[in-house]
Amino acid sequence: MVKETFLHEKHIALGAKMVDFAGWHMPVQYSTIVEEHNTVRNSVGLFDVSHMGEVFVSGNDALDFLQKLVPQDISKLNYEKAVYCQLPNKKGGLIDDLIIYKMGINYYLIICNASRVDDDVNWMSVNSSGYDVTIDNQSHNYSLLAIQGPKADELLRTMGLDTQQDSFTIKSAKILDYKILVSRTGYTGEDGYELLVKNEIAPVLWDRILEYGEPFGIKPIGLGARDTLRLEAALHLYGNDLDEDTTPVEAGLSWSFAKDKKEDYNGKSVIMEQLANGGRKKLIAIKMLDKNIARHGYAVFFNGEKAGIVTSGCISPVLGCNIALAYVKNTKDICTGTVVQVMIREKLHDAEVVKKPFVNKNNKIRN
Amino acid sequence: MSITEKILCTKTHEYILKNDDSTYTVGLTDYAVEQLGDIVFLELPENGVSFSKGDSFAAIESVKAASEIYMPISGEVIDVNTALVEAPETLNEDVYENGWLIKIKATGDASEQDDLLEYSDYKEEVE
Repeated sequence: MVKETFLHEKHIALGAKMVDFAGWHMPVQYSTIVEEHNTVRNSVGLFDVSHMGEVFVSGNDALDFLQKLVPQDISKLNYEKAVYCQLPNKKGGLIDDLIIYKMGINYYLIICNASRVDDDVNWMSVNSSGYDVTIDNQSHNYSLLAIQGPKADELLRTMGLDTQQDSFTIKSAKILDYKILVSRTGYTGEDGYELLVKNEIAPVLWDRILEYGEPFGIKPIGLGARDTLRLEAALHLYGNDLDEDTTPVEAGLSWSFAKDKKEDYNGKSVIMEQLANGGRKKLIAIKMLDKNIARHGYAVFFNGEKAGIVTSGCISPVLGCNIALAYVKNTKDICTGTVVQVMIREKLHDAEVVKKPFVNKNNKIRN
Repeated sequence: MSITEKILCTKTHEYILKNDDSTYTVGLTDYAVEQLGDIVFLELPENGVSFSKGDSFAAIESVKAASEIYMPISGEVIDVNTALVEAPETLNEDVYENGWLIKIKATGDASEQDDLLEYSDYKEEVE
């Protein structure tokens, strides 16, 4: 049974092309992907991401429990702050990637990927034995609206947003007369907010945001542009760029966790070993040197031999070239500036290894 | 008579249009282009290459996905829309006039066209 968000009727009324994604009937585009993409880069866009999961963790052992689940040091997470985390299995492979928020004393909110909510909750339950902790999956009660782009902050101010908050923080706030949770996070590489609201509020809030956003040139944005936006920002997509056979070290996420965390956590021995000696593979960013597009699953070659596989690829509307993320064998010979080849329709096409991210929100200059 | 009244379509969204000199123009239907979305890449064969009905003769990519394009009938390529390869986004704006892909000389039997659909039937089939 395919699920529908509380904004489903809005998407249909706006003429969105709908697709099944992670068990949800979701809008892939309203106008065109490129137009929507540029709207978010240049002004502001509104996304329905209510398919994402919301899991609350509370109880006397909530902190110790989370310390066991993720490589990040949750003891350093302050009230109303957010941290990007991974959920490794015992071998260091990733069950999901998450944002964890500290909502109060021994009280945390976890935002997980729609396709992984059930696996995550199951994994948490399995790991919870011996801990005084409550795992409360509230995904069905919450809608999530993302407002992303350089005009996002100004738009929410005109709607009466009554908090000043930094990136990666969450606050109870009021917009118009609605009491909601406002998180300054996103998945586009732009400044922006995610509004966590009770389902009943979502449809009216959606309409009001589009109304107030009109002077800013706001558009509703589908999953198609969400994908090209996150890829330009070199943000991982679970299922493409992350999976149970990929560790955070291999995924290029070593920056995101504490190297000196004392507590043991699932997969720690593998992750620490790879941190010292390197992973089996590494994630690289590549830019195609011709007009061909490297897609998920295409083989990557180096020095005439198969060296890896593309996990995400698309055109970059901002750069005007084609970009991709790929895993290659972990060798120093493949580094920034190296030319590799991607097998596309039985022919090899050159691509250059470049630095991540492809597009930087502060300058949006060509890579 | 509009162009859609003169074309014959495949269920895989290609069409043929018989020209006055008995050659055929091969292209994609407006429905296919709409489904693909923003077209960003097109790869066409060279003049002189022959294909059988059902062969993949071209590749097209939109922002969303890569697709193959198949021959509606057997034929030898006699003209290629190179301007379209340079500006594949033209397809999104002008699918039938400037968005044609190749012209061919038919090399197969006329019966190859038996399973092709009139545009109105094709639309009913796909929608």
